[in-house]
Amino acid sequence: MFTNARSAESTRKRLLRGIQAGPLHDYLATALPDPSMSVRDLSLLAVDLETTGLHPKRDRVLSVGFVPIDGLSIDLSGARRFVVQAGVEVGQSATIHGITDDDCADGTPLEEVLSEVLAALRGRVLLAHYTDIEERFLSAACERVYGARMPVARIDTLELHRRLIVRWGEAPMRLALRLWTARERYGLPIYRAHEALIDAVSCAELFLAQVAEMQADGREITLAKLAS
Amino acid sequence: MSMDVELTEISDFLAAHPPFDDLPRQVLDRLAQALRIEYFRRGTRIITRGEDNHALYVVRTGAVELHDRHGGFMDRGAVGTSFGSYTLLQGNPADFEVVALEDSLCLVINAATFRQVSAAHPSFEAFFDLQSTSRMRGAVASLHVTHNGGAILKTKATEMLSRAAVTTQASDSIREAACVMTKHRVSSLLIMDGDKLVGIVTDSDLRNRVVAADIDTGLPVSCVMTPDPATGSADALAFQVLMEMTNRNIHHLPIIGADGAPEGVITTTDLVRLERNNPIYLVGDITQAADVASIAEASKRLAQVVEVLVTQDASAEDIGRIITAVGDAVERRLLGLAEAHLGPPPVAYCWVALGSRARQEQALAADQDNALILDNDVQPEDIDYFAALATFVTDALVECGYPRCPGDIMATNPRWRVSLNQWRSEFTTWLTEPVPDAILRASIFFDMRPVYGDQQLFHKLRKHILTQAPSSKLFLAHLTKRAGENEPPLGFFRGFVLEKAGLHRATLDIKRGGIGAVVEIARVLALSIGTRAVNTQTRLAAAVNAGSLSPERGQDLRDAFEFISYVRLRHQAHQVRDGRHTDNYVTPDDLSSFEKRHLREAFAIVRSAQSSLGHRYPSTYIS
Repeated sequence: MFTNARSAESTRKRLLRGIQAGPLHDYLATALPDPSMSVRDLSLLAVDLETTGLHPKRDRVLSVGFVPIDGLSIDLSGARRFVVQAGVEVGQSATIHGITDDDCADGTPLEEVLSEVLAALRGRVLLAHYTDIEERFLSAACERVYGARMPVARIDTLELHRRLIVRWGEAPMRLALRLWTARERYGLPIYRAHEALIDAVSCAELFLAQVAEMQADGREITLAKLAS
Repeated sequence: MSMDVELTEISDFLAAHPPFDDLPRQVLDRLAQALRIEYFRRGTRIITRGEDNHALYVVRTGAVELHDRHGGFMDRGAVGTSFGSYTLLQGNPADFEVVALEDSLCLVINAATFRQVSAAHPSFEAFFDLQSTSRMRGAVASLHVTHNGGAILKTKATEMLSRAAVTTQASDSIREAACVMTKHRVSSLLIMDGDKLVGIVTDSDLRNRVVAADIDTGLPVSCVMTPDPATGSADALAFQVLMEMTNRNIHHLPIIGADGAPEGVITTTDLVRLERNNPIYLVGDITQAADVASIAEASKRLAQVVEVLVTQDASAEDIGRIITAVGDAVERRLLGLAEAHLGPPPVAYCWVALGSRARQEQALAADQDNALILDNDVQPEDIDYFAALATFVTDALVECGYPRCPGDIMATNPRWRVSLNQWRSEFTTWLTEPVPDAILRASIFFDMRPVYGDQQLFHKLRKHILTQAPSSKLFLAHLTKRAGENEPPLGFFRGFVLEKAGLHRATLDIKRGGIGAVVEIARVLALSIGTRAVNTQTRLAAAVNAGSLSPERGQDLRDAFEFISYVRLRHQAHQVRDGRHTDNYVTPDDLSSFEKRHLREAFAIVRSAQSSLGHRYPSTYIS
C-alpha cells in the first residue's frame, strides 16, 4: 500500500538519526525506492530465507539466498547464498531445507550475512513470496545485532498472485497460492524447492511473469501499485 | 566462509542443450553465474528488426519465432534453442526479428561472455557459425514458402531419408559393391575413401558402364563410379533437393550432415512419395481404386496427410473439410463398387452422412454415421437390396478405418433405412412430441448431408424439417437443455476437470465439453432460425445474420471452436507421429502454456454462450 511505503520511508529517516556507523547505518542512509517509480526502472532484491521455524522472536535464520533484479532482468552475477552460523540446533526443520547442524557450524556468522544482505538491499525493493517471513526475520536479526529495525519497501509475489487470481475471477484458494502452484500457471521451470538461492531465483522469475501479465493491457505499473 | 553460488539447476539446463552440452562442467557453472534471466509475454518482440542486439538468448521455457527481413517466417525455437548469435557474429543492426510465440523465460548471455566462451571453445564457436549460415539459407527459402503450402516446399531433406546411408569402400570390387546393393535393396551406393564420400554408383551405372561395356567385375568399384557427386545438405528443403536433381538431371542425391558424413540418399521416388501425402492425390487415388482393398490402402494415408497439414499450420476448419472430403470420396467409391456388385438399385435412394462428417468437421478416429433415404415407391421386396448395399458399405468402411457407430446409427439398422415419408414422420415425432431420451439420440440426425445418390430425396426431407423446426419450442428447449449439459472443463487453473475413470484417467475429453458443446449450441440456433447450414461455423454465421446471436458472441464462439478443434487436431497429429491410435483425450502436460491459456478462454466463451442460450429456451418449457 502507498501509505505503508511512505511510512517505511519516514521510519528510515527517523532511525537514521539515532543509528551508529555500520552496515545498518549505510543501508538507512539510502532512500527507499520512490513509490511513483515505474516497474521498468525498479531495482529489487529477491530474497528467500530458510529458518528453524515461523516465529521471528523464537526461531533463527539458517540460510539466505538473494538475487538482484534491475529493469525487469534477473542478474545472476549478483546471486548469493549463505548458510548462517545459527548457534542453535536446526531440529526437525532440516527435513524441509536439508541444512544440517554441521552445515551451520561451517556457516557464516549472522553479522556478516546481515551486512551482505543490507549492502545488496540498499536502494532496492525487497521481493519475496510471502514477504512477512523475510521482512520480519531480517528485521528481528537487525534488532538483535544493531539494535534497530530495518524498514523496507516490499513487493510480495504471493499477494500479487492473489490479486491476479481475483482479477481472473477465481476464488483464491490456499493451495493455489503456494509458490510452486503459481509457477506452473506461467509455465515457469520447476525447481527443487526449499533451497534459499533457487527459491529466490524462482520468486524473481515469477515476479517477471506477473508483471508481464499485468502489463498486458499496456498500462504503466508503478511501485505503489505493486507494493504490499 | 560458506558463501556458494551454485546455480546447479541453470547449469544442468544448459548441459542438456547444444552447443552448451559440449562445454565442461566448470565452464557451465561459471557461465550460469554470468547470466541474466528475462521474461517475455507472448507476442513481445525480443529482437527488433533494424535495432541492435548485444546478447545471445537461450529459451528456458516457452517458444519463440524468427522472421526474416521481409517478415517471412524463418524458424520456430522451442526450449533449449539459442538465438541472437547472428548479430553477435555478423554485426548490427539485426535484419531479422524474434517474437515470443508463447510466454517465454530466456537466459541472456551478454556479448562479452559469448566471445569469451567462443574463443576458448571451438566447438561452441563452430555451432553458431553454422547456425548463422543455415538460418540465412532458411531465410531465402522462406520467401518461396510463405504463400504456398505444398509438402515439398516445407519438408526438410533429413525428414525424407527413409534409411541410413548404404556405403562401400572405393577399393572394393564392382561385384562386392553390387552384392551390397542387392543385400540392402538400394538402387544406389555411396563410395567412400575412409570417412570421405568420393563417389556414387547407381543401378544404371552398373548396366551402362559395367554390363554394356563388358568390364571385369573384379575391378575396384571406383573405376565405374561417378566421382565427386553432387550432394545436398541435411537441412536443405525438399524443393531445393528437387531443383538440384532436376538441374543436374540425376535421380539420386547424397545428403551430407553437419559433420560432413553422408546421412543417406534421396531418390526421385522419395520426392514423389512426399507429394503422395497431398490430399488431392489421396482423393484421386481413392476415386480410381478398383477394389475395397485399394481404397483401404489409400485411406490409411489420411492420418499422414493430416499430420502434414497440421505441421503446415492449416486451420482446423480447412483440415476438417479435407478429412471430410476424403471420407466422402471413400463412401462414394464404395457405393459405386456396391452397385457394380449388386446391380442397379430398384428405386432411387440417397446415402446421407450424419454428425461430424455432415458438418464437414470430421477429425481422425471418427465413427461412421450414415443412413439411407429411399424413394417412396420402394416395395417390400426391394429392402433386401438396400440391406445388402448397406452391409457392403459399412463393412468396407470398417476396413478403411472408420469404426462402426456404437449407437448403431448406420444404414444397416432397418430403422435408419426407410422411405422419405417414413423419415418425414420420424422427424415430425421428434419435433412435436419430444421425449428427452429420444432427443438425445436424434440430435445427430439434424446434421445431415447427402453424399451419394438422388439428392432430391434429401432436399425434400430437409424442407420438411426446416419448416417445422423453428416453431417447435418444446423441442428446441430440450435441445437447449442438452446443449448446456456438456460443461466445458473450466476449472482450468485449478487443474483440468479430468476424466475420472477408465482408460483415459487424468486426461481431458476435449470433444465432449469443448467441440461438442459448440456444435450443440450452433445446432439449436440453426434449427430455431430454419437455416440450411450444417457446418458449425456456417451455422454460427447464419445465426448472427438472423440476429439470434450477437456479432461479438458469434465471433467469439467461432474463434473458440476453431482453437479447440486445432488443439484436438494437433493432439491427434502427435499421436499419428508416435504411431499411436488417435483419440480425443488430451493430457494437460502435453499442452503448452499458450494452449492452456487459450483453451481456458475458449471454454469460458462456450460456458457463457451455454448459459445465455438457456435464457432463450428456458427449461421451464420442459418442467
